Amino acid sequence: MDWLESGNMAVKTLTSNKLRTGLTMLGMIIGNASVIAMIGIGQGAQRLASEQFESLGPNVLFVTPGSQGARQRTTFLPRNLVWDDAKAIAAQVPSVASVAPQRQSQLSITYGGKNRTTLVMGTAPEYLVVRDFDVAKGRFINNVDLERNTRVAILGSEVAEQFFEGKDPIGSKIRIRNISFEVVGVLQPKGSFLGNNQDDAVYIPLTTSATSLTGRTSPFGLDLTFISISAINEASIPAAEFQITNLLRRRHKIINEDDFTVQTQKDILRIVGTITGGLTALLAAIAAVSLLVGGIGIMNIMLVSVSERTQEIGLRKAIGASEQDILMQFMIEAVMLSAAGGIVGTGVGIGGILLVAAFSPLQAVVSPLAITLAVTVSGTIGLVFGVFPARQAARLDPIVALRSA
Amino acid sequence: MSTIVQLQSITKVYGIGDIIVNALSGVDLTVNAGEYCSIMGTSGSGKSTMMNIIGCLDRPTAGRYYLDGIEVDTLADNELARIRNQKLGFVFQQFHLLSQLTAWENVMLPMIYAGVPVQERRDRAREALVRVGLEQRLQNKPTQLSGGQQQRVAIARAIVNRPVVLLADEPTGALDSTTTEEILDIFGELNASGMTVVMVTHEADVARRTHRIIWFKDGKVLESNLSPKDVALVSAG
Ligand SMILES: Nc1ncnc2c1ncn2[C@@H]1O[C@H](COP(=O)(O)OP(=O)(O)OP(=O)(O)O)[C@@H](O)[C@H]1O
Ligand SMILES: [Mg+2]
Repeated sequence: MDWLESGNMAVKTLTSNKLRTGLTMLGMIIGNASVIAMIGIGQGAQRLASEQFESLGPNVLFVTPGSQGARQRTTFLPRNLVWDDAKAIAAQVPSVASVAPQRQSQLSITYGGKNRTTLVMGTAPEYLVVRDFDVAKGRFINNVDLERNTRVAILGSEVAEQFFEGKDPIGSKIRIRNISFEVVGVLQPKGSFLGNNQDDAVYIPLTTSATSLTGRTSPFGLDLTFISISAINEASIPAAEFQITNLLRRRHKIINEDDFTVQTQKDILRIVGTITGGLTALLAAIAAVSLLVGGIGIMNIMLVSVSERTQEIGLRKAIGASEQDILMQFMIEAVMLSAAGGIVGTGVGIGGILLVAAFSPLQAVVSPLAITLAVTVSGTIGLVFGVFPARQAARLDPIVALRSA
Repeated sequence: MSTIVQLQSITKVYGIGDIIVNALSGVDLTVNAGEYCSIMGTSGSGKSTMMNIIGCLDRPTAGRYYLDGIEVDTLADNELARIRNQKLGFVFQQFHLLSQLTAWENVMLPMIYAGVPVQERRDRAREALVRVGLEQRLQNKPTQLSGGQQQRVAIARAIVNRPVVLLADEPTGALDSTTTEEILDIFGELNASGMTVVMVTHEADVARRTHRIIWFKDGKVLESNLSPKDVALVSAG
């Protein structure tokens, strides 16, 4: 008996009990749908994350205080990264285009009876260039502000919307930590970055931040929490990283462990990639368990089916079916069940991805690899979990089987 | 005249351990081509056991069995399956048709296992159904057929691979007397056209229509060549 005949026979059997066939396939459908959807959503998250990093600005590097090791050991970071470091990088590193010193803290802001705790960022004019922000209205921080410690504030679009609800905020006075600041500008919306709303921020001159709000806390100068740097082009990023590291080591008189960390977009992307990759793997693992459960469901039903069809098996043997014929018949039924479940499940999974993509910022990523994997795995599961029932069937004694009326 | 079935000192013992049943204890029997025999005997005398051995569904505990010149008691399971497919036709009391298949498809089944090409399969199955008078019922499922019609489909299925012997274990046991007559007519016609037929029956009227009666008792052949006239003898015990 050839494959075509066995396939025909299996189709006939499976379609003769549609309800059972459907219910048996359900396990595989759910299993496959979840594998496809989970991997798709995981990869969508990964892609979203990398796109967001690209939106940070072109060819960006970051310097943060504390070593990688120190960052893992303690939450109190040394305050030894200062404005002079940023100035030195701008002046001495040739592969660097712009340097934006940043010092940021969460502070309470009030305006017209409204109160809100928001990120307040002390920075310099370069910030706009390095981080690729645009001014919507008014102006950004300029060098005069820095020299004179002016109390001016530029609002992120979200903050402007929250406090002013469509009115023009320029010229109004807001209070940061009870100190009055004049609003001189509003930024264009930028969207969120890894769930952080980048538009929910207020920008003030770096110098004003140190003198009026938080005070100087480092013995080495005006301390920073962050330096954002743009390299002159993508090719010069590794050079910039190397040169910045060297410069800061010299300036900080480092002998052993660095007290700062230079990271490129790639470094951060890699970290995010590890996290989202792990997440994807976890989701896939959970989904794989449901595939397994689906396979066990198939085995269960096939076993019931073998004992129900004892007479049929006996008759087939009596008219000349060999053990291999019976084995093949039941194996093909099992594989068809699981592969069909796999295909339907893939459709449902893709539907799920498209649905999630439609209602969230996640992109729809339909991975051909995931689909091939899921269908192959389902087929294999059918094969593996079909073997046992099929062998039971093939080994039935025809006389005993025929007598079981 | 060629010998189709030859049993030599066949024994069959059931049960391992304490309870042992000697279902067959030394059966010698020869059936020649073209014969029309019935096997009679009390319940439990071993008729079905012997039919199963002749039908290669079961193996004897001891003894030799030649089918159409081949010693089948030494064959492997696979080879027996092939013998059942090619040389034997089996009709059961319970018909044993596959309910999800039509009459036509049921008759095609043995040819699928024989590897007969599709077109030939369809033609031969139709011919077989014509022979049993069911050309109008090709597309009916078993549940849409009467008991007698179902048994005729089963006969068509048994003869479609042109077996050397047609075996029937109480083929009319589940049928009323008119339907029994119809089935016996078909067996008679098949035998008239050269088919060797061996049939187990409890009914004297059925046995009377065959040409040779084999009488079974306690796992042995008591009489192997009674004529239909002697049926009363058997019925009396
Ligand atoms: N699988 C088995 N295991 C144990 N004993 C069996 C088995 N099959 C048959 N027997 C016994 O073998 C003996 C012969 O049984 P068999 O079925 O051949 O009788 P029979 O002549 O066909 O009877 P009936 O006319 O009732 O069909 C009986 O005693 C029966 O109980
Ligand atoms: Mg019997």
